[in-house]
Amino acid sequence: MDDPNKVWPTGLTTGESEELHRNIIQGTQIFGMIAALAHLLAYIYSPWLK
Amino acid sequence: MIYGKLWTVVKPSVGVPLFLGAVAVGSFAVHYALLTNTTWVKAFLNGNSKMVVAEGSAAGAPAAPAAKK
Repeated sequence: MDDPNKVWPTGLTTGESEELHRNIIQGTQIFGMIAALAHLLAYIYSPWLK
Repeated sequence: MIYGKLWTVVKPSVGVPLFLGAVAVGSFAVHYALLTNTTWVKAFLNGNSKMVVAEGSAAGAPAAPAAKK
């Protein structure tokens, strides 16, 4: 029943949904890396955890 | 990628702003909690240059007051 051209209630097909989701995941990963760097800098330059 | 089909049932014009908004609110809450529960964040924002890492700086500043948490 998995028709790739079926337009779902949100107006997207399965392919479009997965394409959007791939970008959301990538954006979240980039956000995560920036946050990790910020935590590293905070650990180095602030009294946090010392 | 196990949630790839999410956007076939959640409208992106609703789900994406909701997701980004939740991250923003969470981040704001964490920063606010830090500001209110530590001394060194406020000291940093006030340009407290005397703030030295707890075990003392290499420059051997004479008894520079270390801002304790």
